[in-house]
Amino acid sequence: MIDFVQNTLDGVTAGASYALLAVGFTLIFGVLRRANLSYGPAIMLGAYTATWVFLQTGAGLIVLLVVAVLATVLAGSYVERLCFAPHRKGAAAAAMVASFAIWMQLEELATLLLPRHLYAFPALYEGGPLIFGPFFLRVESLLILLAAIAVCFVGWKVLYATRFGIAVRAVIDDPRAAELSGIDVGAVSLRVFAVSSAIGGLTGFLIVSSHEQVTPMLGMWSTLKGMLAMMLGGLGSLPGAIAGGLALGLIEAHSQWYLGPQFRDFIAYLLLFALLAARPPWMNTRSAY
Amino acid sequence: MLSVRELVTAYGKIEALRGVSLEVTQGSITCLLGPNGAGKTTLMMTIAGILKPRSGSIRFSENEIAALPAHAIVARGIALVPENRLVFPSMTVLENLHAGAYQRKNGFDDDIERAFTRFPRLKERAAQLAGTLSGGEQQMLAVARALMSRPKLLLMDEPSLGLAPLVVEEIFTIIAELHRDGVTIFLVEQNAHMALKVAHRFYLMEQGRVTFSGDPGSLAEDEVIRRAYLGSSKS
Amino acid sequence: MDEYALGVLTNIGLLSFVATSAYLLLIAGELSFGQQAFFGVGAYAAGIATAMLGLPLFLGLLIAMVCGAAVAALVGLPALRLRGLYFAMATLAAAEMLRILFELFHWQVEVGGEIVGPDGTQGFRGIRWVFERGVEPLDFLALVWGMLAVVVVAIHLLERTRLGIAIRALGEDPELAGTLGVDVLRLKLAVVAAAGALAALGGALFAHHNTYIEPRNFDIMLGVHTLAYALIGGLGTVVGPLLGVALDLGLLEGTRIFQGYRMIVFGGLVALLLIWRPRGLLDERVVHWLRTRR
Repeated sequence: MIDFVQNTLDGVTAGASYALLAVGFTLIFGVLRRANLSYGPAIMLGAYTATWVFLQTGAGLIVLLVVAVLATVLAGSYVERLCFAPHRKGAAAAAMVASFAIWMQLEELATLLLPRHLYAFPALYEGGPLIFGPFFLRVESLLILLAAIAVCFVGWKVLYATRFGIAVRAVIDDPRAAELSGIDVGAVSLRVFAVSSAIGGLTGFLIVSSHEQVTPMLGMWSTLKGMLAMMLGGLGSLPGAIAGGLALGLIEAHSQWYLGPQFRDFIAYLLLFALLAARPPWMNTRSAY
Repeated sequence: MLSVRELVTAYGKIEALRGVSLEVTQGSITCLLGPNGAGKTTLMMTIAGILKPRSGSIRFSENEIAALPAHAIVARGIALVPENRLVFPSMTVLENLHAGAYQRKNGFDDDIERAFTRFPRLKERAAQLAGTLSGGEQQMLAVARALMSRPKLLLMDEPSLGLAPLVVEEIFTIIAELHRDGVTIFLVEQNAHMALKVAHRFYLMEQGRVTFSGDPGSLAEDEVIRRAYLGSSKS
Repeated sequence: MDEYALGVLTNIGLLSFVATSAYLLLIAGELSFGQQAFFGVGAYAAGIATAMLGLPLFLGLLIAMVCGAAVAALVGLPALRLRGLYFAMATLAAAEMLRILFELFHWQVEVGGEIVGPDGTQGFRGIRWVFERGVEPLDFLALVWGMLAVVVVAIHLLERTRLGIAIRALGEDPELAGTLGVDVLRLKLAVVAAAGALAALGGALFAHHNTYIEPRNFDIMLGVHTLAYALIGGLGTVVGPLLGVALDLGLLEGTRIFQGYRMIVFGGLVALLLIWRPRGLLDERVVHWLRTRR
């Protein structure tokens, strides 16, 4: 029983990172109906840039956070202009393959910046975990969870209480109707991309500072986890992205405990495949391009 | 007000508009009739900026607008109520109106009031999701939404499509009302009978070209209807 | 010809099999992020056949193709009704599951005093059938390209038949194809299986060229790369994917000028190319233009 609760705690906190990643992917997918394969790499470039700044200047966490977010937003906007804006009315395959090509580009840029396989990153929190009875919760994980909640809250407010939010939801609902209502779909897409990248940058920063290290696997890892979580929650819905992220975290935590680390990923993929094959109604069958 | 000259729009190799020319005078109701596939929707989409023409010109109040994107066209004062209505299904009626007023930023509460006065049924359903409205209500919402941008020229693509006769009558009453309020209207219609009752001028379009223009009465109504549905006898 | 150039040319040939398998699915209208898994299935199957069961190479290749087709059909069947990104993600999930299964796969036998066989993440050593028979690199190159040529010609001819047109119709507009009497689901499954067999053939040859394979060879990077090759080379003709592979491996690897920042250059070029040509260099329009030149 204790293990179950602890695993659930671990699952939820891991899931918070996945949820943030999934939200970033879903925002882009919702507005552009395309998967952005460069999302993880942009986050990686953001984290690497922050690491580079840390190595050069020893700057504090807040500065590094800002650097990570800015670098990711810059990378994300570059991807949007090069891979998505030109193909908006055309082939989805072209956009996704282009985003993959830039994935390669961004990863190489990052590794040129910092060639080694592992770098230390300042810790998000110096103290030990919180302990309640037999359970423990790392403060870093709690911070990530809080960040995820904050992002959701702010996101919800923006989407439902601002003019920009209406434009975003309009574009997600029906891009043509949005154009006819006088909304500049291209400008909205670019801005959503930037917001999504900012969230990604924040997530990347939280992950590397929580693990106190940066590795080149961050790009691929973020992409896989984010897309997996996004699809588990039903493609295209923001609440779904959050649910998918949490679900993925929980599934992984429990599978790892009962079946071992190798099966952890296997179960997640199996679940996704099974869900896709069964296509339950909540899996949002809106045309995925 | 609107002057279209030799407009050519193509999908790849297929030319949907083969040199369309027509005029819409300010303050009038102009109607475009023609069989399916004639290119009427393509013309509307081109004027609205969704499609880019290959050649030709569209002048609106002396300004060339053919190459502008859709949102810039709305900014110039042209709004399109598209075929199939196109509301935002997961947003409420009120939010749909807000979206329509996007370029106005704020200060459009009056327009919302006016929309609700004109379409009382929308007021009843203000908090309802647009996707759950009936066909007729969605049509009204689409019109109300287009009006939120205070257009000088309202384009309507088949407003009566798929609607019950009573609802169609309501729509045309509203069209007449809008005209009285000073909005210029350019509408595409399959229902030639209703359209000719309100139009000041009409055009017939077949296979990407305008084949006839005149005012109601210049051609016998059943001749018009025949050509609108079947095209002219020379094929 | 020097060893290095031979190696590059052989690799171009080997990867062309997987790229062509991605191409088949692309013209049928689907993106697959998973062809690398069937490349792996073929590699393991052929390796087991020749190194552990002592079968001749050609039998090994045949077994590989059958296994590739079977596994692909097995995976494709539940995913058949999916389209677009859903289908792509299903292929990704399936491919990763297969890769994890490779990591868990341990089966070793003693052959001639040595332990041979797949050993999970340690890989599968000793696939030496080709070397034990003194086949020269040039001969192997000829074998790879010979088989590739047969495949390319076969697909090229297929595209001119009604079946080929049906496949392209499936890609353009499945609903329309359905109304024209195409059994959409059956055809899609056939394409999935054929693509699986093709990738598996490439994998089988790859295993014998390298003599050593490991699960890491068959990861997502390979999958997305092959998708890119197929799209860049062009979807107008089966030669397209070969062009895509040749451009990456040949030009950039071979010339080595961009050592260290190869992906920066290649990645940027690919994205720019796709803006200019969203369906690749040899897309349908270019191919049509070339054909009507006669």
